[in-house]
Amino acid sequence: MYALEIIDLNHYFGSFRVLYNVNLQIAAGQIVAIVGPSGCGKTTLLRAILGTDPPKEGKVLAAGREMRAPDRDVGIVYQNYVLYDFLTAEDNVAFGLTLDGTSLFSRILGLPNFLRKRREHRQRAREFLDRVNLHAAHGRYPSQLSGGMKQRVAIAQAFILQPKVVLLDEPFGALDENTRESLQMMLLQFYKENLQARAEKRPPPYTIIIVTHELNEALYVADRVIGLSRFHTDSDKGATVVYDRPSPVFRPEDPRDFSKFIEQREELRRAVFEPSYVKHHTKYVSFWNEIAAAKVESNGDSQLDMD
Amino acid sequence: MIRRPIPRWLVATLSLVGFAILIGLYSWLSIRQTQKNPEQTILPSLSGFQAGFQKILKPQGSETSPKPAMLWSDLGATYLRLFLGMLVGVILSVMVGVAMGAYRYVEALLSPAISFLSKIPPTAMMPVYFVMVGTDQKMFTAMVALGIFFTMAQSVYQAARKDVSDDAINKAYTLGASDGEIILDVMFRQILPRILDNIRLQIGPAMVFLLAAEMLVGGQGMGYRIRMESRILNLSVVYIYLVILGTSGLLMEWALLNFRRKLFPWFGE
Repeated sequence: MYALEIIDLNHYFGSFRVLYNVNLQIAAGQIVAIVGPSGCGKTTLLRAILGTDPPKEGKVLAAGREMRAPDRDVGIVYQNYVLYDFLTAEDNVAFGLTLDGTSLFSRILGLPNFLRKRREHRQRAREFLDRVNLHAAHGRYPSQLSGGMKQRVAIAQAFILQPKVVLLDEPFGALDENTRESLQMMLLQFYKENLQARAEKRPPPYTIIIVTHELNEALYVADRVIGLSRFHTDSDKGATVVYDRPSPVFRPEDPRDFSKFIEQREELRRAVFEPSYVKHHTKYVSFWNEIAAAKVESNGDSQLDMD
Repeated sequence: MIRRPIPRWLVATLSLVGFAILIGLYSWLSIRQTQKNPEQTILPSLSGFQAGFQKILKPQGSETSPKPAMLWSDLGATYLRLFLGMLVGVILSVMVGVAMGAYRYVEALLSPAISFLSKIPPTAMMPVYFVMVGTDQKMFTAMVALGIFFTMAQSVYQAARKDVSDDAINKAYTLGASDGEIILDVMFRQILPRILDNIRLQIGPAMVFLLAAEMLVGGQGMGYRIRMESRILNLSVVYIYLVILGTSGLLMEWALLNFRRKLFPWFGE
């Protein structure tokens, strides 16, 4: 079963067609980057996956279950952080555990089992904050944190619940270069945990979809890049997936060597962002074929082995 | 230079000077008035105030069944009315305001009507209250509660709408929250300090409605006493009551502000 599956998704506002026949299968443990020109429907697709604006036609399945409203199976990290002002960094991270694991009733009455669980949730939140390098900021409120720190808290907040998929909507768009690089590194760290889990025959814990306008970021952070655009032969029907290929895999300790994907970057730019380059939308959609081919070649020992 | 900072001691000194000027001005007017008419009670002198204090602090009732002095019964009556009225008004307006901020149909149903009713001066509504609720304790409670309700429901609603973004609500759903948890654990907690601020700001208007009502009806209370004493030109009691009202207003404001700062450090100023 796929962590996320999108089947024949169409969306339109009145007579304006936004998304046309989007089909995607995302396996657990993938880090997928979605790129596309502004106004191409990335946000619309994201909202459909999140369940806040279900598609007019078609389905979004998270681990086989249809998403018609937002719930704990799909997590979200927004560009502008959206932390809860009234909770400390630690309690922000623990918030999901609390909402998910205790009842409103036991919280209001402060029942002993709630108090015990709260200690445990805080402990887990602290451990997660340590992993995103925020050990010093446990007790601070969001207003006392920098942008980069807030985004680390927001990422920890979404990831700690281990939803089927976490959506990152332009997560580093508002951050300076240096902070952005260290946060990209953090995502690679999560990817490394996925690889490790797979090596130990455990299900990989993190499946990530990151929407970005930075092609370098997309190719650097993700192991699969998807381009969404209207520049295809059926452009009047709306934007769809025009690019879907594997992307080079980096580990946190690897050098940030962008020359590794310079050709792919050019291919991606042309296929997704070049209005005059009109092609059939399936021309660059070859992710699963390439995976299958790689599997045959290496006797099923591919790094991108998804089963 | 505009907004150039000044040292702390100067701030303290100047605020004392402000009060000194107030007292000085009064003394000067009072002395001038006494020179014109030694029997005057409009701007009483120190001895006039002494008499005033004696009057309001004298135990009432008979030897066998003593009653508290005028000042205490007036203070008690007024602040009990204020407290009960505010309590009812705050509870109702928070419930309605949060419901309007949470559900679009409640918003559509109530928002226009509440904006309309909030524009009617509550003091102008007094005759309606007299007729509908009578002139006893219930009337004062209703008066204060409804007097602050419309304005406060609107501010709570605005806070619930604006201070809690759609993203914050959607994210709470992704963290496993139910509708009830979003209302109580997200919306209510986010706007709680604003509610406290609103209570602080509504005490002023509430006192206006209450004192006005007390001047019209009722047998005790600050407003009633001020009106009765001013009718017999016994202004010393009136001035004492005004100072007490000002001081208690400052105290409540200070207490609520510090309460909020202590309880909600994340809220800022």
